[in-house]
Amino acid sequence: MRTAYFINSGIRQGFSRFRLVIYLWLIILPFALLAIVPITSIVRNNLGHFYLSQPPFMPFELHLVEVFMANQNIFQPYFSLVLTVIFLFGLLSIFLNAGVFGQMVGLEKKITFKDFLADGCHHFWQFFLTFISSLPFFVLIFLVYRLLALPLNLWIDNAITEWPVILGSNLKLLLAILFWTVFKLLFDLVRIIIVSESKKVIPALGTALSFLKNHFFKLWWLYLITAFIFIIISLLFLLVGRLFTTNNAAGVLVIIILGQVYIFFRIFTRLVFIGLETSYYFEYRGVQ
Amino acid sequence: MKNKNSKKTKLIVCLILGLIFPARLLSMTGERPVKYDLKVELLPETHTLQASETIVWTNLTQDYVPDIQLHLYWNAFKNELSTVARESRMEKLFKRYRVKKDEWGWIKITSMTTADGQDLMPAASFISPDEPPNPFDQTVLRVVLPQPVAPGQSVTLNLEFQAKVPRNGLRAGYYQDGFFISQWFPKPGVYEEGKGWNCHQYHLNSEFFADFADFQVKITVPEKFVVGACGEEVGKTVDSKTGKATYTYVQQNIHDFAWTASPRFIKVERLFKADEEVTAEEYRQVADLLGLSLEEIKLPDVRMILLIEKQHRNQIERHFKALKAALKYYGLWFGPYPYRTITMVDPPFRTGSGGMEYPTLFTAGTSVILEKDVLSPEGVIIHEFGHGYWYGMVANNEFEEAWLDEGINTYSTGKTVAAAYGPGKLPLRLNGLPLSWFIKLPAVYDWQTDRLFSSTVAKLDPIVTLSWKFYNSGSYALNVYQRASTCLYTLERLLGQKTMAKIMRTFQMRYRFQHPKTEDFIKVVNEVSGKDLTWFFQEFFFNTKDFDYAISSVETTEKPDKFEGIFDDQPVKNSNHQKPEPKKKKQKIYETTITLRRYGEARIGPKEKLKLKVEFEDGSVEWREWDGQSRWVRFTFEKPSRVKTAVLDPDCIWLVDTNFSNNSYSASGPGHKILAFQSNLLWLMQNLLLTLSCLL
Repeated sequence: MRTAYFINSGIRQGFSRFRLVIYLWLIILPFALLAIVPITSIVRNNLGHFYLSQPPFMPFELHLVEVFMANQNIFQPYFSLVLTVIFLFGLLSIFLNAGVFGQMVGLEKKITFKDFLADGCHHFWQFFLTFISSLPFFVLIFLVYRLLALPLNLWIDNAITEWPVILGSNLKLLLAILFWTVFKLLFDLVRIIIVSESKKVIPALGTALSFLKNHFFKLWWLYLITAFIFIIISLLFLLVGRLFTTNNAAGVLVIIILGQVYIFFRIFTRLVFIGLETSYYFEYRGVQ
Repeated sequence: MKNKNSKKTKLIVCLILGLIFPARLLSMTGERPVKYDLKVELLPETHTLQASETIVWTNLTQDYVPDIQLHLYWNAFKNELSTVARESRMEKLFKRYRVKKDEWGWIKITSMTTADGQDLMPAASFISPDEPPNPFDQTVLRVVLPQPVAPGQSVTLNLEFQAKVPRNGLRAGYYQDGFFISQWFPKPGVYEEGKGWNCHQYHLNSEFFADFADFQVKITVPEKFVVGACGEEVGKTVDSKTGKATYTYVQQNIHDFAWTASPRFIKVERLFKADEEVTAEEYRQVADLLGLSLEEIKLPDVRMILLIEKQHRNQIERHFKALKAALKYYGLWFGPYPYRTITMVDPPFRTGSGGMEYPTLFTAGTSVILEKDVLSPEGVIIHEFGHGYWYGMVANNEFEEAWLDEGINTYSTGKTVAAAYGPGKLPLRLNGLPLSWFIKLPAVYDWQTDRLFSSTVAKLDPIVTLSWKFYNSGSYALNVYQRASTCLYTLERLLGQKTMAKIMRTFQMRYRFQHPKTEDFIKVVNEVSGKDLTWFFQEFFFNTKDFDYAISSVETTEKPDKFEGIFDDQPVKNSNHQKPEPKKKKQKIYETTITLRRYGEARIGPKEKLKLKVEFEDGSVEWREWDGQSRWVRFTFEKPSRVKTAVLDPDCIWLVDTNFSNNSYSASGPGHKILAFQSNLLWLMQNLLLTLSCLL
């Protein structure tokens, strides 16, 4: 199989539609800012004029914990706010996904914000139905996961050392991630079919399942190898981030930039996934 | 003649030992109220014990004692109606103990007679001494004696009993063929003159209280088991027919006896050689600190025994290093370790018995994956060993005043860990894997985290509270461990390290092998410091008062050159005819007002002062003092420059202050530190939203 070809294709499509990354970053940013405002306000109010002696009386992180402990009463309303933001962003995400898939699956052309919004509006309802129709599949996949995790649970329960507990619980996590990728793969494909073939959800689901009957392992392999590369690069980001200290302004600036570069990278990776899935589907959709 | 020679030899040996280890010899003498002779067999297939016990109880008081009260702790795990089970159901957040079917534990006395064979079973009945009463609790058995025990007289009880090991009985338990056996035998409470028996039922949030005793214990287990126990192993016999081994342990002057058996243990022995572990310079420094002679602080050698699970065999050195540090610093600071052995147990997997202390034995607990900079298992090893001093030797009543050992020992642990290792990284794990592999976590001292977490319970319960009367397990733990420790650190900063070291040493040596109470500790504090610090304990140990002093506001204004209005002492001039004065550059004067507030109910002592240090932009520094009794105070400064920083309590004496963040002011603030936090928070939220977006 042409693994490199499809990954290249995904990356190429990601770069050619890089504006989408900027749009998404710009849309996510205010939501994230809104969600953190109460916490940052409290920190500013309490520590804005805090004198950090040298050497410090205790690490600054502990002063942050101290502030949160002194303001525990805000956490309940704060979590309500975060849940509201998450709910609103969830609804918006369906719209954004519709826009992203519309722009990614469509013909290569100059990406404009107007077209992006237009695609979002155009496919919103079908994408919303896709989300609804994905729920029974989610439950099904969860049940299968629980079933397959049973031997691991038995292994953990009967362990006589800690190793099976650590290995077993991490294997369960890995299994859950693998099942999640299957679920994700299926419904990404459904969305690609909805956009590219203007089908409704159930026929698109049928087409996707039929396509995966012959191509599941090849496509899943592509998905996993890309996910693996993503995880490696993410770990590298974390490790590089560890090199910089927050003790000076330059270090903080680098950490901020690095953090936002990572967010760009995450959004870009999403485009790469959609790009490679689209390429694969388009390449083999006639071949059953 | 032979006897005379033998006595003479013993006397000479005693004198020599007395010269070498005076504290050890002194502390091991004296009459103990209880003697135990126990024989127990572990039946691993049924998870049961079959045992016989002889208790000789001597009445050392002036009372005539009509009865004896025995703890039968394992009945706490017998059913859902025990006090422990009821109290655990009340816990909302963290359940330390969950009742599970088929995992019950119990203890049943099958026969009980006096030395002359009189049956005591008809005279025995279960009681529940604590409020609220629980008639279903069977953890305290009262036995009415045929005749009262007169002062100075003894009574002997011969018991046969069976016990089922609870699967996970808080501190005792089994998993497969690993056993940890504690609180397993009928044990008398403590008889207090004029008050009667102090024998509480087993509570969820409480540990134990018992009299000092001499133990001889024979433990029979299948031969393949490796055994560890309190005291010294003095014999081992193997019955090849039955495939069983019997170990004999003896120990004088301890108040509890625990043991463990598992085929998965590796047993390693080392010697703590004091002369190799402590340098002459260290001896000299400690002698200076405590004002004692070098002879008085000389440490003895101690045999260290480690029982470690095979899965942790690569951590043997790490365990011994921590134990050596504990023997060294506790020995130097608080007094020489008086027993010949110390047994450190890496508890059998899943027996729920980690992190617990018994005289001359303690359990630690570790993980197969360790991080270099995280001080685990070191912290728990030092803490549990330390209980040999605080609770083991200075044997307070943990039911009634748990802070006396937990708080003092948390304080002592923090000091030892800091001296031996410095700050340790915060432990953070996901699925058993350390997150510090990827995330940079700060290194902290114990006192920093102690004061932080204890602030949450300052207003919930007083530190000195009956263990079962705390609001919940969290309040119990944070009050008696962290908050009490924080108060002691505060006391240390208030009195100075030298005075505090003398207080701790005096308290340990004066009450070694006794049962002191909080008032005894206060007496020692007042006596050694030469101050009346009763207010300190009233404020922080017996009350639920929040201690929070703060810089409420710092306001700076430029002082005007002249003030508007009519002033009687100046002639009224017609400004129209006044010649304009030639302009000369006047030095600006800034008027700064700093308001300090007392947000909490707690106050500093009547003779104490809170310091305020104010630094100005021109480099000048001003100091002010406040007695802290009123709710607020305002200080005004007229200076040619603005305030750069202001710090209340700049020496950080009052660690009990629940919010240090409001104790300072800086014109520039901590700057990029806040920015870094905000950007990290933003990054986390962006990732959360992105993940959510992928889910839909």
